[in-house]
Amino acid sequence: MAALSKEQKERYRRQISVVGEDGQVKIGQTRLLIAGAGGLGSTAALFAAMAGFGTIRIIDPDCIEETNLNRQLLYREADIGRPKAVTAAKALLAMNSSIDVEPVTAAIGTVPAMDLIGKIDIVIDGLDNYPARFLLADAAWKCGIPFIHGAVEGFYGQVSTIVPTTSPCLRCIIPNPPPPRETPIIGVTTGMIGCVQITEAIKLATGNGVPISDHLWLWDGIRQKSDRLRIERIHACHICGKDGQVPKEERIR
Amino acid sequence: MKVHVKAFATFREVMDNEVDMDFPKSATVRTLLAELTGRFGGLGELMFTAPDTLRDFVNILKNGRNIYFLAGMDTPLDDGDVIALFPPVAGG
Repeated sequence: MAALSKEQKERYRRQISVVGEDGQVKIGQTRLLIAGAGGLGSTAALFAAMAGFGTIRIIDPDCIEETNLNRQLLYREADIGRPKAVTAAKALLAMNSSIDVEPVTAAIGTVPAMDLIGKIDIVIDGLDNYPARFLLADAAWKCGIPFIHGAVEGFYGQVSTIVPTTSPCLRCIIPNPPPPRETPIIGVTTGMIGCVQITEAIKLATGNGVPISDHLWLWDGIRQKSDRLRIERIHACHICGKDGQVPKEERIR
Repeated sequence: MKVHVKAFATFREVMDNEVDMDFPKSATVRTLLAELTGRFGGLGELMFTAPDTLRDFVNILKNGRNIYFLAGMDTPLDDGDVIALFPPVAGG
């Protein structure tokens, strides 16, 4: 295993005492795809850069708007109108110039998913709609890449770490997603959930702890409570089930 | 038989977070929902579009299995079941 440089040992000194030198090397060798550079994605990307993940590929089709500034912590007022992915990359490199950041200004679905997750070790879900989530999560599952799902609304958030081929896939966890709409959201929620997602990524990269796998973790900021809901894999699921594809119309609602 | 119900996210705004319920043996998820919506005002409107039609985003787990993959609202209840009701969130 590669050794840490003198500079890296100093930079990461406080967390090497948590994850060990081996753990820090593993974080540095881990390549993340951060899908979405909004509230979740910008929080996740910032903490990933600070932790020293070696490569961060970040994709988002949008430009920064004034209404993003209540939660999207990589952006400043002067950035309004600029593309998110490129602006995020600059902010991440300003935080940590020793990592590689690859901005992609495109929407999920317009770039072949297999290209997007090529040479990636972990996908972080910072998307704002389920059609895009399913597209990317299905591709990640097929490639054997963990997909750390996160979603938010108001003071509520959820996380699940989907690890092929042991845990249920996103379609088993959320078979009935809500329709796309402008979600009410406050910055503390995206901050909270984005940090939990990178906590999961650090655990997967270093082999520490137990991921939120086979469970959906739900955070309730209003009552300051969190719960883990156990989720079972569906044998008939066409993504992760052992029984293969079952047409949707045969499922019972 | 005894069934434990847990509610999450916006469902908590109209009902108790956790409810212990007692049902006769033939009860189904439909029976449970009728009892709950009768007990908690506003829950019916939040969960149903019509008397027998759940809103698309209402996810109901029976011991970790989504009733969507079981028998829907006809899924039978068993003694000791833990039923979770959650509306997944979508934003990023």
